[in-house]
Amino acid sequence: MREYNTKSNIAFKTVVYAIMVLVLLVCLIPFLYIISLSLSDPIAVVNGEVFVVPVGFSVEAYKQIFTYPNFFNAYLNTIIYTVFGTAISLFVMTLFAYPLSKPHLRGQSIIMKLVVFSMFFSGGLIPNYLLVSRLGLINTRFAILLPFCINTFNLILLINFFKSIPNDIEEAAIIDGLGYGGILTKIILPLSGAGLATVGLYTAVFFWNDWFNSLIYLKSSQFPVMLYLRNIVNGTTQLNNGGGSSAEAASLSMSIKAAVIIVSTLPIILVYPFVQRYFVKGVMVGSVKG
Amino acid sequence: MKKKLFSLLLVVALCSVLFAAGAKEEAAAAEGPLKITMYYSDNSTLPFKSDWLTVKTIEEKFNVDLEFEVIPIADYQTKVSLALNTYSNAPDVILYQSITGENQSLALNGAIVPISDYAEWTPNFNARVAEFGIQDAVDVLNLEDGKRYNLPGLFDVPFYDGGLILRKDLLEKYGLDVPKTFDDLYEVLKVFKANNPSSYPFTILAGPRVLYRFTMPSFGISLGKNSSSGSYVLSYDYEKKEYFAGAISEEYKAYITYFHKLYAEGLLDPEMADPIDGTKWSQKMATGASMVTYAYYDQIGGVAAASKIDGFELMMYPSLAGPGGAHNQPKSKTGAGIIFPAKTAERKDFEQVVRKIDEIFFSEEAAKIWCLGVEGVTYDIVNGEVKFKDSLVNDERGIYKALQQDAGCGSDVTQMVWVNKREMTKYDETYAAINAEVEAMGDVIQLIPPKPKFDDLEAEEAGSLQTPLADAWERWNDAFLTGAKSIEKDWDAYVKEMKTLGIEKMLKLYNDNL
Repeated sequence: MREYNTKSNIAFKTVVYAIMVLVLLVCLIPFLYIISLSLSDPIAVVNGEVFVVPVGFSVEAYKQIFTYPNFFNAYLNTIIYTVFGTAISLFVMTLFAYPLSKPHLRGQSIIMKLVVFSMFFSGGLIPNYLLVSRLGLINTRFAILLPFCINTFNLILLINFFKSIPNDIEEAAIIDGLGYGGILTKIILPLSGAGLATVGLYTAVFFWNDWFNSLIYLKSSQFPVMLYLRNIVNGTTQLNNGGGSSAEAASLSMSIKAAVIIVSTLPIILVYPFVQRYFVKGVMVGSVKG
Repeated sequence: MKKKLFSLLLVVALCSVLFAAGAKEEAAAAEGPLKITMYYSDNSTLPFKSDWLTVKTIEEKFNVDLEFEVIPIADYQTKVSLALNTYSNAPDVILYQSITGENQSLALNGAIVPISDYAEWTPNFNARVAEFGIQDAVDVLNLEDGKRYNLPGLFDVPFYDGGLILRKDLLEKYGLDVPKTFDDLYEVLKVFKANNPSSYPFTILAGPRVLYRFTMPSFGISLGKNSSSGSYVLSYDYEKKEYFAGAISEEYKAYITYFHKLYAEGLLDPEMADPIDGTKWSQKMATGASMVTYAYYDQIGGVAAASKIDGFELMMYPSLAGPGGAHNQPKSKTGAGIIFPAKTAERKDFEQVVRKIDEIFFSEEAAKIWCLGVEGVTYDIVNGEVKFKDSLVNDERGIYKALQQDAGCGSDVTQMVWVNKREMTKYDETYAAINAEVEAMGDVIQLIPPKPKFDDLEAEEAGSLQTPLADAWERWNDAFLTGAKSIEKDWDAYVKEMKTLGIEKMLKLYNDNL
C-alpha cells in the first residue's frame, strides 16, 4: 500500500500515535509500578522513592511469599479450576450450542428464549447456594466446576459462531454419509478454532479470577489463589476499625502485596498473546448474525 | 445425538451423587479425641498455621481434635452469614463473632444457640467473669430476650494500645514539653509547622473517623461512624448515665471549633478526607511530612525502622485533656467471641462440645497457653515472674510479634482471656510504662456506653432515624471542619436541620429503652 506523506496526513498520524502512546502508558504504568514495587527494598517503598524503576533491587518479597503456608496449594487449586473448568465448560457448551445453532430444530426457539432469560434473571445467592448444597456439591471441587460451566453470554457467542459456518458444508457431509456427531467433531469443531479459543479464554479468565464462589462453596484447603490475594491486598485495610484489643493493625509491606499481585495475575496475562491471533476474529464473528 | 446427550447428563448426575455420599461418610468416622470444627478468621498479617505450638498443645493437653476452617478476614462475615442463614454446612463453632447487626436478628430467629442457657456447662467462663468482676459488662451483651448468644473474649483492664503519637526527637529539638492538653498540642503543632512550612504536621491513618474516635471523648462526646454508642449522632453522659444529643451539643461545637482552627492554619492534613492508607501514612510519617498522628502502638516500629531521618523517634503519649477530661476511645471489657450455630445443638455430644470449648479457651491453663505459649518452651517462671526464652527476647520482631507469628499466641481470634499484667510481659518496657501511666490517670478508657434494648420495631425506627441524621452530620461536620460553613453563623441552621431530622426523637427512643 502506498502512503502519501502530505502535511495533513503526517499531522493526523502524529496525533493518532500520540494518543495511542498515551493509552499504552495509562495501561502499562500501573502494571510496571506494581512490578517495581515488588522488586524494591521495602524501606524505599515506605519513603516514597519508587516509581517505575525498582529502587534497591530485592527479591525478598518473592522469597517471603514462598514461606506462606498454603500459597502454593491455593495456586494449584486455581490451576485445577482453570484447566478442568475450561475443559468441562467448552465440552458442555459445544454440545449445547451446536443444536441451538440450527433454527430448523423443533423447540429451538423456546430453548433459546429460556437461555436468554437466564442471562438476565437468576435465582440469587441463597437459592443458588441451597441448590448447590442439595446437590451435595458443597465442599467438593465440583461446586466450582459444574454450576458455572455454562455461561449464557459465551454460549450465545458460540451459537452465533456455529451459525456463521455455511450450511452447505454440512449438507455435503450428510450426502457423503456423516452423522451429526461426525459433522460436529470432524467438520464444525476444526472450523471453530477462533470461536472456541475466544470462549475458552473468557472462561479461563473467569475461573482464574473468581473468588466469591470458591469462598461460599468450598472449604479453605480448596480456596484458589485469588482469595488469597484478596486477603493479602484487602485484608489489612479492614483493620483499625473495631478498636479491638491487641490492635493487630500493622500492615503488610507493600512489596509483598505487589509480589503476590504479580505472581497471581501474571500467568493469565501471559496467555493473552498466544490466543490473541484467534481473539480478534473470534469476537467479531458472532456479531454478524446477532 | 440425543442419546449421547442424555447419557452425558446421567454421568454428571451420578458423579455428583457419588461425591455427596463420599462427603457424608467422611463425617461419620469420629472416635477418640472430641472432634470440633470451627471457623477461624484469618488475617494476612498473621497467617494461620495449623502446626502452631498453641494449637498443637491445646489439642494434646485437652484431648480434642480441632478442625479449623481458615477463612480470610475480608470475607469472613459473608461465609459466617451464609452458614448461619442456610443452617446446613455450618461448623460446630464459629470464632470471632459478636452479636450485633445481622447476627442479632439471626440469634433472635434461632440460628444461634443461646449459650447463657447452658451456663452450668461453662464453669471456666463463669469463673473468669467473676474473677475480673465484669458481670455487668457481660450482661450488657444480652439481647432483649434476656439471653446471651456468645462467649465473648474477656478483659480485666482494657489496654491503652493506641493514641497520640508524635515525634519525640522533634519535641526535644525544639525544646518543647510533652503536650498534656489539646491547647498544648496546638502550640506544639504550630512550632512544627513554623519549622517545616511545607508540612502538615498532624495526619491520620484511615480517615477522620479514627481521629474522632480517639479525640472526641476528651471533649465529652463520641460521634460519627466509630461512635462508641454506635448511634452516630448521640453521646453518652457517664455521670447522668443517659444519652444526650452529642451532635448538636456545646461540647461538639467546642470540638469542631478546635479542629477547624487546626485545619485553617494548615496544621491538619487535608488529605485525611480521602482515607490515607497504611503505606501512604507510613510514608508521610517516615519522611517527616507529618510529625503527629493518632494510631496504634504496633504501627510505630515499622515506620521508625523505615525512616532515613537521623534520630527519628516516635513515641506514644497518654490521652490529652480536653474540656471533658483526658479520655481515649471507650472500650468494652468484652471482645468478639465464640458462637455455636443452632445445628451444633443437634449433636448428641453437644454438652461435651460446650464443656470442651469452655475448657480450651477459658480455663486458666488454656488461657496461659493462648497468651504466653508453653512453659519451658517459650518461657520460664523465674521468681514468680514470666521470663521469655532468649531466642524470643532477641528476636528482632519483638516478643509479642514473634510469639504471635511463630506460636500463634495472642491472636485475638483464639485468645479469649486477656489479663493486662500478663500481656505486658510481652511488650517492651516503654509500652508497659505508658499503660501503667494511663491506668494511674484513672478512667482514661471509659466503658462502651450501654446499648438500648430495642425490639424489632424500635430498632427499625432508630435505624431509619439514624441514616439521614448520620448523613447530615457528616455533611455539616466536613463543612465546619473545612470552613465551607461558618461554625458561628451557620450553627443554628445546622441544629435546626438536625432537629427537623428527628435527633430529639432518636434521643428519646434511646433513653426510654436504657
